[in-house]
Amino acid sequence: MKKFMAVLAMVAVVAFAAPALAATNPFMDVPQGHWSYDAVGLLASRGIVSGYPDGAFKGAQPATRYEMASIVARALVTVDAEKASKQDMELLKKLVMEFKDELDALGVKVDSLDKRVAVLEDRLGGWKVNGQFWFDARFASNDDNGNNSYSFGDTPEKNQFGFAYARLMVTKYIDENTYFFFRARFNDGYGDLDNWFMDRFFVNMKLPGDINFRLGRIYSDWEGDAGLYHSVMGDNEGGLWKDQKYDGFNFQKSFGMLDAELLIGRNFNILDSNYGSSTYGDNNDFMEYGLKLQANFSENFYLGVQGIFFDNDGDAMVTDNTLGRQVVTDDIQQYGAYLSYSFTPAIALRGYYYWQDLGDNPVYEDSPMAWSAMLDVKQDLLKFTSLWVQYIEQDNSFIGPRAANQYPAIFNPDLNGPVGQDGTNKTWLITAEQQWGDSKWSSFLQYLTTDWDSVDYDDTDQYTIGIGYQYTPQIKFWLAYNYIDYGDGAGTGANAYKGNESVVLFRTAIDF
Amino acid sequence: MTKQKTSSWIKIFTIAVFITAICAAAYAASLDNILMRWRKTAKYEDGTSNLTVAVTYYSAELVEAEIQAEAEKNLWTQDELERYKYRYLQMLNLSEMIPIKVEFVNNGPTMHPGPFDKMIDMTIGNKTYEPADYDKRLNFPFQGEKDGLVFFNRFDPKTGKNILDGQKRVTITLSPGISAIISSRGRNARFFWDINKDDPSKLYAGATAARLETDRLIKRLENLRKDRADEAARLKAIDDEISTVQSRLDELATIQ
Repeated sequence: MKKFMAVLAMVAVVAFAAPALAATNPFMDVPQGHWSYDAVGLLASRGIVSGYPDGAFKGAQPATRYEMASIVARALVTVDAEKASKQDMELLKKLVMEFKDELDALGVKVDSLDKRVAVLEDRLGGWKVNGQFWFDARFASNDDNGNNSYSFGDTPEKNQFGFAYARLMVTKYIDENTYFFFRARFNDGYGDLDNWFMDRFFVNMKLPGDINFRLGRIYSDWEGDAGLYHSVMGDNEGGLWKDQKYDGFNFQKSFGMLDAELLIGRNFNILDSNYGSSTYGDNNDFMEYGLKLQANFSENFYLGVQGIFFDNDGDAMVTDNTLGRQVVTDDIQQYGAYLSYSFTPAIALRGYYYWQDLGDNPVYEDSPMAWSAMLDVKQDLLKFTSLWVQYIEQDNSFIGPRAANQYPAIFNPDLNGPVGQDGTNKTWLITAEQQWGDSKWSSFLQYLTTDWDSVDYDDTDQYTIGIGYQYTPQIKFWLAYNYIDYGDGAGTGANAYKGNESVVLFRTAIDF
Repeated sequence: MTKQKTSSWIKIFTIAVFITAICAAAYAASLDNILMRWRKTAKYEDGTSNLTVAVTYYSAELVEAEIQAEAEKNLWTQDELERYKYRYLQMLNLSEMIPIKVEFVNNGPTMHPGPFDKMIDMTIGNKTYEPADYDKRLNFPFQGEKDGLVFFNRFDPKTGKNILDGQKRVTITLSPGISAIISSRGRNARFFWDINKDDPSKLYAGATAARLETDRLIKRLENLRKDRADEAARLKAIDDEISTVQSRLDELATIQ
C-alpha cells in the first residue's frame, strides 16, 4: 500500500527532523534498494513501527486506518517540534487531521502539536506585539534652581514615580521580504497615559539586487551605525547627530566593500521655529536629501563620508518671540567624515569631523564644525572592565537633532543649550562598564563634563555610578546615583544654568 | 574648563592611546583573541534593554585553536586529539558546507526570528545565498539566550564550484525585522570576515584527513553502487521490454 509507506516516510522525516541518517533496517522483506528502506529502519529503531513475529514487515500488505493512526500517534510522542521545520510540522498536522477520528478514538492529545504549528504559521501571518515599560522611582535633592530639572514634567519635584518610557511595538510580515513596523510611545512620566504618539511607522522591504528599501516615518542613526557615540547611562542619548526622523524613503545597498545609503524625505524633527524649545515642532519645513558612503577596507578599518542637505521651504528670517531670537529658516548643508581603526578586535580608535554651511541663517558662526575622537576598549582586553573615552568639540552654532543641548544630561532636562551663540563647547565622556562574569550582575561608572565656553553657561560636570541586575531576560532592575553640577552661570529665566542636582534612580525595565 | 585643562586632557588622552596600542600589540594570539577575530559581536541597546548578536565563522585558524585548546585542557594524546578533530569536522561538515554559528542574548523585547532561513543570508562577491540547513529551534520566538548552527552550501549547485574560491570576504546579514530593538534603531545586523588568509585545507591533514577521505570515498562508492543498481534496473527493464517486444513480434510472425 503505497499510501501507507508514504505516511511512514513522512513520519520519519517529521519525527526526527534531521537528514535521514540510514538506520539498519531489521525487516528481511524490505529490500535495501527500496525507497522506504531508510525511513522504515529509522522508525523501527525508535519503536514507532514493529514487524511481525516472523521478522517480516509486510510493507505491501494493506493497512487499516487505525494502524496508520497508530503510526502517527507514536510519531507525535517522538516528534521534536523545536527542530522540525514549518513544512514538516504542516505535514504532520495534515496527517493528524486525516486521522483525527482514529486518534480521538485512541485518546491521543494533539493540542501541543497544534500549538507548535500555530506558532510557526503565526510568523508570516500574524501581528507581533512587543512592549517596553521603564518605570522609574527618582529621589532628588532638587537644588538646581528649578530650571535644570531631572524630573518627568516641566515642574521640578523632589521625588517622582512614573514611566521613563512605555512603548508598544508592532511588527507584521507582509511576505518573506517585507514587513511593517510601528512603535507607539508614551513619555508623559506620570498622570493619565494620554500622550501616546507613534515615532516609527514604516515598511521595510528587500528589493531585487539586495537593496534594502524603507518608506514611511523613518529613523536614521548614522552616528550609531558607525559606533561613534556612547549613550548617557540609562538613556538613549549621547550622539551629536542621531535620532533623526523623517517621512520619506531610505535605500541601502552594498557594493562589495562599499556600503551606500540614500535618504529622501521631509524632516519635521529639526530646527524649525520650535527649535530650542522642549518639544519638537511638526512644521515640516524642510525637504531633506542625504547620502552616506562607507568603505570597509578591512575588518579593522573603515572610512565613511556623508552629506545631508536640508532645503527649507522659505527664505525669510523669522524672530521667534518665545525664544527671543531668530530661528533657522534657510537651507542647511552638513558634510562629515569618520573613520575607525581596530588594533585588535577588542580595541578601536574612532573619530569624526562634521562641518555645516548655514547659509543666511541668523547665527554667529555660519560654518560651524564639530569633531570627536574616541577610544573603545572591550572588556575582553582589560578583563575587569570595558572603557570608552571620548572627546567632543562642537561650535555652539552647530545645529542638529541632538546638538548643543545634548551634554550633559541624564534625565532630559528642560535645558536650552547655547544654540546659535558664539563659542565652542567641549565635552569629555568616560564610561567604564563591567559585566560580572557569567552572573546577572553588571555595574558602571560614567563621567561627563562640558565646558560651554559661553557667558551664560558654566562648566557642567556629571558623575554617575550604578548597578544592574538582570533578574530574567524580561525584567531588569537598575539602580543609579547621578550628580550634576551646573556651575553658576550668569543666565536668567530659561537659561538660569546653575546649581546642582543629586538623583537616585531605581528603574524596573520590563520587555515583552 | 580652561584651555590649560583641555590641553592636559589631550596629553593624557594621547598617552592613553599609546599605552593601549602597546597593550594591543602585546596581546598574544591566544584562543580568546582568535575567537574574537572570528566571532563577531554586535550589541543593540535601548536604554536598559539590550540585545547581543554574535556570529561565528569557522575558519581553519579557529577550528585548529579550539581543538588544540580542548586537547591541552584534557591532556589528550595525539590519537585522542585526532578522534576529537574527526568528530568536530564531521559535525561541522566543512567539506561540503559553510557553517555559521548564531548566538543571541536577548534582554529586550521578544524576538520573532522564524522562519530563520528567510531571516539570514550570506553574501560572497556579488551573490547572495540562503541557508541549506539550520537549527530549527531558531524559528521560535524567545527572550534570553539561544544559539544554533546555520549551514550554507560550499559548492554552487549549478557549477559545482567552491563559492569561496578567489573570494576575500564573507558577509552575513540578518533581517532587522527579527527583533523590535534592531528594527526600531534603524540598523541592519551585518557581520563580515576577511577570509583571504583562511585555508581550510590545513585542517585536512594526517590521520583525520585519511578518515574523512575514507568516509567521503565510502559515501561516493555507495552513490555509485546505487547509480549502478538504478542503471542495471533500467537496463533490465529495457531488456525485459525488448524480450516482450521480440516475443510479440515472434507471435505476430507466426500469425502472418
